[in-house]
Amino acid sequence: MSSTVQKNKTWPVIFGIVGVIVIILPFFTGPYVQSIGRTVITYMILAISWDMLIRSGQLSFGLAGFFGLGSYAAVLSAVNLHFNPFVSILFAAVVAGLMAFLVGAVVLRLRGMYFAITTLALGEIFRIIIHNWTSVTGGPNGKLLPKLAFDGASIPTYAMMVVFALVIIALSEYFKRSKIHYALTAIRDNEIVAKSSGINIYKYLLIAFTVTAAIQGAAGAGFAQLYGFVTPESSFNANYTLIPLAMALLGGMYSTWGPVIGAVLLGVLGEFLKLYIPYGHLVVYGIIIILVLLFMPQGIVGMAGKLLKKGESHE
Amino acid sequence: MNKKKIYTIAGISAALVLSVILLIIKPTILVYGIQRAGIYAAIALPMALVLGIVHIVNLAHGEMMMVAAYLSYFICTTFGLDPLVAAIPTGIIMFFLGLIVFKTSIAHTLEAPELNQLILTFGVAMVLSQTVNLIATSQPRKISLDYVSASATIGEVSFGIYDFIFPALAAVFLAVLIYFLKKTRIGKAASAVGQNPRGARIVGINVDLTYTIIFSLASMIIGVFGSFFITKFSIFPAVGGTFTMKSFALVAMAGIGNLPMVIGASLVLGLAESLVMSVPHGAGWTPMIFFGLIIIVILSRSFRSKQ
Repeated sequence: MSSTVQKNKTWPVIFGIVGVIVIILPFFTGPYVQSIGRTVITYMILAISWDMLIRSGQLSFGLAGFFGLGSYAAVLSAVNLHFNPFVSILFAAVVAGLMAFLVGAVVLRLRGMYFAITTLALGEIFRIIIHNWTSVTGGPNGKLLPKLAFDGASIPTYAMMVVFALVIIALSEYFKRSKIHYALTAIRDNEIVAKSSGINIYKYLLIAFTVTAAIQGAAGAGFAQLYGFVTPESSFNANYTLIPLAMALLGGMYSTWGPVIGAVLLGVLGEFLKLYIPYGHLVVYGIIIILVLLFMPQGIVGMAGKLLKKGESHE
Repeated sequence: MNKKKIYTIAGISAALVLSVILLIIKPTILVYGIQRAGIYAAIALPMALVLGIVHIVNLAHGEMMMVAAYLSYFICTTFGLDPLVAAIPTGIIMFFLGLIVFKTSIAHTLEAPELNQLILTFGVAMVLSQTVNLIATSQPRKISLDYVSASATIGEVSFGIYDFIFPALAAVFLAVLIYFLKKTRIGKAASAVGQNPRGARIVGINVDLTYTIIFSLASMIIGVFGSFFITKFSIFPAVGGTFTMKSFALVAMAGIGNLPMVIGASLVLGLAESLVMSVPHGAGWTPMIFFGLIIIVILSRSFRSKQ
């Protein structure tokens, strides 16, 4: 798959155009479009992080848990320790990563549905603790952030999220080209063979789980910086698990560009639908998950790759 | 087989000891615990059938219950029926809804990796809850009935009588399912299919039909439960989600394929939850019991299977 992307000249052109649009977008539009852009980019980062872990065959439903954990870590560190907004985002990444490292040491022995359900349960546990630990977290009412990054100015925060996304894209591409990728793919394809050929499965899974959780935590922290408050219901919302999953599936799993494309398409579509169907517009996401799984398991990137290949062979 | 029996006996005796202690210290906790356990067991049994017997992972389980409750609600408000009567049409409709859901989606993932089935049913869950959200909005709905508030007093303890309908319902479901699996042709076929689908096909069992019937039957049971659910609780589109998780945890706890033990697992969960609820400021922490339990159960089972 990745070889077709690398060889093909069409992809860099497409991404170049998209990149230019992303960069000039804030100068031609108002704060509303910029806020949609920030939301879409947040989901994009989550979608890439989910994809980075599923490359090992481990399905995580814990995105919302680490996202919420990160957003709370950022806000609480800013409130109580007077951290600078950017330091608090880094701090959130460290907290989420550390938590993933600790629980991952135990949980990563599980496979398939047991892993998926346990990650979901972990996220819920974080939520319940934060919900009930009123003296520290503010309980159901949440906490307000005293000082936003760039004082909440629209264009700089948008730029911040774009840079964040670029870093994650680069990280994901690095994962794809490094030794980690081969180890994780080997685990997904056949764990027993991977083990017998001397790959330390557990180590690589732990690295992937920790890194992706840190990304999710940082995404949560970034989102808290954009909105200026956290509550258990908004920060741990199941949407932060559902939407990135649908995005990565639609775009194409096991790649960097799949989640990116899926996030742009579904994110814009979702914001558009929200205007016309305030209740239940997410039904579209559910339908897309089902249809993609049944008819297009490789997503848009996979399909496009196939079509381009066909075109080339005809020439 | 012997090991299974030992676990069953150990589980039941643990639940019994816990019940006796509670009966002596605080009987109210016991009564509420049993009533809660009934609800959990009734909804976990159909999942035990689908997951435990034919090994289909259905993450839309709780959402199907939610859809059934809404169906029952609309049948009741439109035709002025009692929810307990509406259980019959709801069950029948849910049988066909289950059939449609299975045939259009899940059936295509039976041969695929487990991951696909997980994500797919996750999508189904999303479609169900969001469709209801679209049609009925997220406003909670409830049916008020007189007989639900009937109560009784024994000694110093007073409690609602109606809530015992859930343990009774769970017992009926269990009896029906055991009879179905042990005595009927399709039930026996289901066990064979669950153990070895290819082998079952070779000996002439209609595997596809068996899967379809098991899934539809489970949906029908969920439908009946949904009607009972609406008599006691208010419903909203997200109400099902926790029940998917709880059912999964209970089935995992009982041991895949061990239907009677679901009752025991539900008792442990129900009693523990009602115990925590009785502690001051404990109500917010009740979900911890369940999530803690699910992680402990899953981890201990996976470690045991490794050894």
